[in-house]
Amino acid sequence: MVLSKILHTSIDPFLCETRVREKHKGGHKVSKVIVVTSGKGGVGKTTTSANLATGLAMRGHKTVAIDFDVGLRNLDLVLGCERRVVYDFVNVIKGEAKLQQALIRDKRIENLYVLAASQTRDKDALDEEGVGRVLQELKDMGFEYIICDSPAGIEKGAQMAMYFADEAIVVANPEVSSVRDSDRVLGLLAAKTSRATKNEGPIKSHLLLTRYNPLRVKKGEMLSVEDILELLGIPLLGVIPESKLILLSSNKGTPAILDEESDVAQAYLDVVYRFLGEEREQRFIHEERRGIFARLFG
Amino acid sequence: MEALSSRRPPVAHEGVAAATQAHAAFDLKGVMTSTTVMRLKSRDLGLVERQLRNRVTQFPQFFENAPMVIDFAALQGKSEGIALASLSRMLRGRGVVPVGVTNLAEEFHEEAISAGLGIIKPTGPSALRASQIDEVEPKRDVGPTPSLPANDGPTIPNSAMPVATVAEQVRPVFSHRPPMVVRQPVRSGQQIYARQTDLIVLAPVNPGAQVIADGHVHIYAPLRGRAIAGAAGYPEARIFCQKLEAELICIAGAYMLADDMPPDRIGKAVQVFIEHGECHIVPL
Repeated sequence: MVLSKILHTSIDPFLCETRVREKHKGGHKVSKVIVVTSGKGGVGKTTTSANLATGLAMRGHKTVAIDFDVGLRNLDLVLGCERRVVYDFVNVIKGEAKLQQALIRDKRIENLYVLAASQTRDKDALDEEGVGRVLQELKDMGFEYIICDSPAGIEKGAQMAMYFADEAIVVANPEVSSVRDSDRVLGLLAAKTSRATKNEGPIKSHLLLTRYNPLRVKKGEMLSVEDILELLGIPLLGVIPESKLILLSSNKGTPAILDEESDVAQAYLDVVYRFLGEEREQRFIHEERRGIFARLFG
Repeated sequence: MEALSSRRPPVAHEGVAAATQAHAAFDLKGVMTSTTVMRLKSRDLGLVERQLRNRVTQFPQFFENAPMVIDFAALQGKSEGIALASLSRMLRGRGVVPVGVTNLAEEFHEEAISAGLGIIKPTGPSALRASQIDEVEPKRDVGPTPSLPANDGPTIPNSAMPVATVAEQVRPVFSHRPPMVVRQPVRSGQQIYARQTDLIVLAPVNPGAQVIADGHVHIYAPLRGRAIAGAAGYPEARIFCQKLEAELICIAGAYMLADDMPPDRIGKAVQVFIEHGECHIVPL
């Protein structure tokens, strides 16, 4: 319980800041560009982008999720709209299609849109001016949240995804390589982005720990939340427990957050609330205390 | 007898008078500063450029606008086959500022001067002696106080800092620059270089990060990356940190890897220094 208090205080100043800013806007909705990045591959960026975008849209905010992984497109699969991709992000950048033609509206959730990546081209098709133009057009269309799903690595695709970000969600697994790569990415966020080079105020970075298994942390096989926070030094947005449901969700094309009962869904819901400025206790850091029947019968 | 009617001071006095007035245009002082010396070993400028490019890529801040003296001792003082003007241009192209030549035979001095390079006389019998930058296994004793290689041949592999020359008579003099203070964590892949001064870091140095100073390195937080002190050749430099978990520590070219650090010092607040050619890691 002491641990959650410590984590609360590390998040609090940011939550208060967000609330105050929204109040002052007085009704006019501000657009925010959020990059979901990690450095390391396979930690849960696309899963997080999909679930976060879905969650924000469920709460009534007009949200678009953009896949920056040119050539290795995944976001459309995870959101279940892979059969409706006609035009993609690169088509829009190159002027081969209009943004309205490329945007795919989610069938389940009204406020959610997807901009898929090109599968046939590669990352050289992205350029700063083109990406900037498309993002501005999305802002003009009234999108409140623009989620940029970054590819793994620190090359052009990842750099383009983070360049125009106002906020960053750095996704990491509780293991050494992932944490070190995330550290590298934090260095890049502070140096190689529009906000950094034009001195427009720092990108607000949040940490999201995924595939967390409290038992393995206890055994010393996985890094603990405290160890990771000490190394990375950014506020903790949330902890998503390891779950078999993630694989099933991406197979079905239904983000886990829609199945509200599961622990993954609850964890992602908490993340959405915290992101929007509401306090939520960190629920998935400690092992559940299971009753004797649960332990006997599985 | 001639009367001295009008006392008009001769022209020479005017010049001296001007220099000693309160608003003199400049002062002349003899100052010794730390400068990198490139000891040329090949007459193939293309090869030199390629190798220099690699070094500059590894340590950009060290080479950026750094004044450099070119030493021809290894080529017997003869610059035959090397057009000094091309050499100077090539170095500038890499971001280095060639200021002069040393150990160059007199017949080539005129060429050097037309290329804009000063002639630096070697000082004293041992002159400027370059440290080797080779891939050589460090010599180390296995004992309670692990030692770094002695002063007469500090060697470091290319993966550590390139070391500027150190001669007994030429000691680096630090300009009166205040120490560089870093308040943010130094992240993996970042490199901080405090030129001609000390470095003070108030946040952790993460694994994969490098903090370098020509003077001392103070880290008021855990050191998990690499720390290099006395980078331009100052063996009296020290490294201080609150928690020693470093990948590598290095003072004036002599380095120690994590595996060689005494286990009872790991995780503790320590200072690292070289005394009588031995490395000491002492609790704070």
